[in-house]
Amino acid sequence: MTMRIAIPKGRLQEPVLAVFAAAGYDVPTASELRTRRLVFARRDVEWIFVKDCDVPVYVEHGAADAGIAGLDQILEHGCSAYQPVELPFGRCRMMLIAAPNTPRLESVATKYPRIARQYLDSRAIHAEVIPLGGSVELAAVLQLTSHVIDLVETGETVRIHHLELQEEVAEITPRLIVGRTVYRTATQRMRELIARVEEAKDVYITV
Amino acid sequence: MPTKVRYPIGVRPLLLEEAARRRRLETRFVSMLERAGFDEVVLPIIDYADPYGGLLDARRGYRFVDREGELVTIRSDFTPMVARALAPSLSALPLKVFYRGDVIRCEASRLGANRELFQIGAEIVGDASSDADAEAMLLAASVARELGVRPLVVYNDVSIAASLDRDTLDSLKTKRRAGSPAGPFSKLIDGTATLDDIASFAPLAATRLREVQRIVGDRDFTLQPDDVDEPGYYTGIRFRIYDAATRALLAQGGRYDSLYGRFGTPAAAIGFTFTIDAFEEGA
Repeated sequence: MTMRIAIPKGRLQEPVLAVFAAAGYDVPTASELRTRRLVFARRDVEWIFVKDCDVPVYVEHGAADAGIAGLDQILEHGCSAYQPVELPFGRCRMMLIAAPNTPRLESVATKYPRIARQYLDSRAIHAEVIPLGGSVELAAVLQLTSHVIDLVETGETVRIHHLELQEEVAEITPRLIVGRTVYRTATQRMRELIARVEEAKDVYITV
Repeated sequence: MPTKVRYPIGVRPLLLEEAARRRRLETRFVSMLERAGFDEVVLPIIDYADPYGGLLDARRGYRFVDREGELVTIRSDFTPMVARALAPSLSALPLKVFYRGDVIRCEASRLGANRELFQIGAEIVGDASSDADAEAMLLAASVARELGVRPLVVYNDVSIAASLDRDTLDSLKTKRRAGSPAGPFSKLIDGTATLDDIASFAPLAATRLREVQRIVGDRDFTLQPDDVDEPGYYTGIRFRIYDAATRALLAQGGRYDSLYGRFGTPAAAIGFTFTIDAFEEGA
């Protein structure tokens, strides 16, 4: 039976493919990927390329057997898939951000409404969550909301908008995710996949 | 879209051929269970929420306050209701019963997740033996087979999880190996644990699984000791039945020996529930 693996398009695509290649999988080449194809069949693996936030959706519903997804997307989708391997690159932090001297947390703009809600509930903070599609920092700059919850890599965006980091909501890493049903019904194949990715995961950090 | 022309997500009417196919499937199920010596119990579609306090996932069932001010819940899981109905008058044991009907769940709408599910299930009450475990598993598998599906039964014992330390349990829940502890649990994590290995930390579960495995065999049955999730009311054997060809989940079941005691008469019990919609989609 073919195994279908979902790869996130964008910044993680290249390192993720390098890991799978190092794990001995036949992955699509760079020139193939420049075409607009999204599905590549290779021996017994079918690679699909989807938007990063959609990887947990494909895996959760069994449309893909496994994939690579950031913890941010896994949590935001409430994805129940196993997370057997944490990759050593693409690490960033989900942060609570505000303008200096912001008095009280009253509202939060974010691309991650579910994570924001859980964070606020865990702190017993009563605040409104405003879902936004992007450029979330602007909400704090323009005082649409008192705070923002967003991913921070270098902190550059936060600095140029004269905002400050207040608290870490979660540490975010990309993970190999494997669907529960496929793990139960094709256990040996999935264990092999996990072992091979675990073995090869460090290949990219030395590059 | 106006509500005049649509239904809530996850529910739909069955018309004509679909209804006829549902009834045919139901009739075949019921006659198989009757032939195996099971008698029917019919349960109400609503019940007070209070007797089930903490048992039913409160987010799962629709609840409302009735005219007398009592909190009432719509049936979302048969098994605790069967226990509550049978417990006060349990006499000649073991008792073999089956039930059929809809359960309604107000789960957050997931893709393809029905809210109204037609289920048929069976239970053996008052028999704590591994023979009863195996009987329930074999019956469920043969029901699937008779309906033209090759079953893949994945099973485990939930009491294994109770004997694990927190780190091991976390590793099993995420299937993550990095930093996995050395020692008796590491084989469980990497999937190489035998029943002898399991016996070193969960002797009762290992003995039980060995007995069950001896009866059910390896064909269509897979023991998966690293399969741990929230046990809910299960206390021993837990199993899921998939369609081996499509990997669709058809049925699940297990042992819940402390459920009847909660309703006044302690009794061991094991059972399974088929969700009939899963067959209809495959048909």
